[in-house]
Amino acid sequence: MAPLAEAEIRALADLLDELDYYQLLEIDPSAQGSQIKQAYYAASRRYHPDANRLLEGEISDHVHAISKRITEAYQVLRDPRRRRAYDAMRNEGGGARIQLVDAAARADKQARDQHEGTTPNGRRFFSLARLDVERGDKDAAIRNVKMAMTFEPKNTHFKAMLVELRGA
Amino acid sequence: MAELAIGIDLGTSNSCVAIARSGSVEVLPNPFGEGISASVVAFKEDSAVQVGNAARANVIHDPMSTVSSAKRLIGRFFFSEEVKKAQAICSYKIVEGPNHSVRIQVRDEQFSLPEISAMVLREMKSIAEEQLGQEVRKAVITVPAYFNDNQRQATKDAGRIAGLEVLRLLNEPTAAALAYGFGRGLSQRVAVYDLGGGTFDISILEIGRDVFEVLSTCGDTYLGGDDFDDRLIDLLADEFVSQFGINLRGDPFAFEKLKLGAENAKKGLSQDDEVEVRIPDITTDAEGNNLTLQRVVTIQEFTALVMDLIQRSFKVCDEALQQAGLVARDLDGVILVGGPTRLPLVRDAVAQYFQQEPKADVDPDEVVALGAAIHANSLIGGVEEGDAFLLDVTPLSLRIGVAGGLAETVIERNTPVPIEQARTFTTYQDFQESVQIKIYQGESRQAEENELLGQFEFGGFRKARRGEVQIDVTFEINADGLVNVTARDQETGQEATTAIALSSGLSPEEMEKILEASPAERVQTMDAPNEAVTQPADELVLAEPSTAGDAHQPAIDPNEETGRDLKVDLQQRDSGETPLSEETEPSDTDDIESLEVDDDLFEQAGVDLTDLTDSDDLEG
Repeated sequence: MAPLAEAEIRALADLLDELDYYQLLEIDPSAQGSQIKQAYYAASRRYHPDANRLLEGEISDHVHAISKRITEAYQVLRDPRRRRAYDAMRNEGGGARIQLVDAAARADKQARDQHEGTTPNGRRFFSLARLDVERGDKDAAIRNVKMAMTFEPKNTHFKAMLVELRGA
Repeated sequence: MAELAIGIDLGTSNSCVAIARSGSVEVLPNPFGEGISASVVAFKEDSAVQVGNAARANVIHDPMSTVSSAKRLIGRFFFSEEVKKAQAICSYKIVEGPNHSVRIQVRDEQFSLPEISAMVLREMKSIAEEQLGQEVRKAVITVPAYFNDNQRQATKDAGRIAGLEVLRLLNEPTAAALAYGFGRGLSQRVAVYDLGGGTFDISILEIGRDVFEVLSTCGDTYLGGDDFDDRLIDLLADEFVSQFGINLRGDPFAFEKLKLGAENAKKGLSQDDEVEVRIPDITTDAEGNNLTLQRVVTIQEFTALVMDLIQRSFKVCDEALQQAGLVARDLDGVILVGGPTRLPLVRDAVAQYFQQEPKADVDPDEVVALGAAIHANSLIGGVEEGDAFLLDVTPLSLRIGVAGGLAETVIERNTPVPIEQARTFTTYQDFQESVQIKIYQGESRQAEENELLGQFEFGGFRKARRGEVQIDVTFEINADGLVNVTARDQETGQEATTAIALSSGLSPEEMEKILEASPAERVQTMDAPNEAVTQPADELVLAEPSTAGDAHQPAIDPNEETGRDLKVDLQQRDSGETPLSEETEPSDTDDIESLEVDDDLFEQAGVDLTDLTDSDDLEG
């Protein structure tokens, strides 16, 4: 591979904080598994420190910074949970970057919200329904799940519980 | 003459050196024609130092002055389990050095572990130079994938002491995969099962046409072929006690003979179903009669002795597969690395676990050095068609100490490297002026159950209420797997940075002294500025956060160079950036998110979504 041009490196380093992970890896936001991997390989081939050993000083620092960001982008986009959290953050107008542990924490929170509800009333009725199940009062449980669903009609976990109760 | 770079497999029991050039890669044999040399250093009475297989033979004559398996101790703290274990089985003297480091005492001289390993490296270097007929200054040195930062730093120090510019610390399983897949245009997922003398690693890799991507790596730095020997030693020693009432462990000469006997028996059992251990005149009884140890060991007996050790390795394999998101049948190949994998009982168990026969065309003793040589060649620009590209991961989670004796994850294990992550913290108390930042590696929420990599004090904050001072802490893991941490006061732009190494076993001053003592061996291009060292590690104490008006930390002199050992280098900087802090998302489960400062606490402000640190080069 031809050595990177200094101007190219400087330009990318300047832009680094503005590019989102898709732009950085030069992929479409709808890109899937193997496309992400191939893009990561291609970008790493260009910017990994191993490929740029002969660079020195500021230019070398720039390449390192780019390389580290490429790794970060890959680590977020390759994992569907982290990626969902990242996309959600972007949709809410967040920055171009997400810290990995934050992405994981957000993903966990999303999952937890699904399980316990995102609204106070949704959570309250759903927890009542679970108590009903423990007591063995199926009808009361169904009523409470239905109540919970009036607050969170899209909660798949609530729906699944209702289906299960009706089937039982 | 063309520049050459060698690959060195610095093993617990044996080391191997190889070279790649003009499309071929080969092991460079020692003057006796042997491809591998014992990682043993013998200190002779006449102050000569002998390294390699001859040194190994010296052990039964002078066990107290013959140092083996030093790799088990490198980068360890004196109080660690491994050191206690080594003290029980090593005849040479292991003593405590400054700052909880480990020293080996031979007669009245003390050596650090990097110095011992440097002697082995220097031997490998000279083997290469003899074979190549020219000087060699550059090398890739391999380390167990599961080595932590302390062990890596110490190994890198060893390389420098040996007069080598360490181009890269390469993970052993990654090196093995590289040697296996090099130039073959494979597209496979493989597991590298690397059971060495003292450590066990398992790596799962995806080998593409020209890319080697490590998907996960797990390991156990307390598991190796030495443990197999120990089981045999215990069996033989216990029986000797019941037979003659004499404990061979108490006599270094007898004990070393026993160790050799056990090791030979183990090797014999990779060929035969039973071996006879016979050590004549191993010791004498009270009347002065010579006693002989004699015992037949069958493969069934040996299997029973070590099966739990092999099972332990499979628990680690489970973890690695799970981290890679794969199951055994997804793998296209299994590569065996390390002498102990020559044992049929290990091979069979591995074949059963992975539901396939391991690759037979890989030499478990040489494959790692070959891979290191291939990588060394590509790093000095010997780029050839089909040149492979390595993408590795960090084996251990990187953590920061927070309130309550806990350690919070910043970079999870098996994250690809190089990587950089940032967290923002704030003060926990009104008018708090400094904070102690502690960096750990490991998988436990409990700080003390992890390996402490380093700690540094950061302060000089303005007088402010709790929560008003914002500090960005940036964590970097480079392609060598080495860790670097930087703290930065958002408001003043003041910065402190440290490449962390607590237990390389050498204080910076000692390191300087050693390097100066052998100027001929010294590498011209010393490493990164971070490695310049000024403050002895043993001056490091847990700094009490200052509460008085004096805003400067006494331990820090801005005029001094950045210290590698927790020396904090402060630089005044202009702070032009405006953080784009996003609303903190309160965590429901982990409420305690404060950095620990002895009793003083330091609270995490929350999610840092700023892009400050990346563009923020560390040079002043």
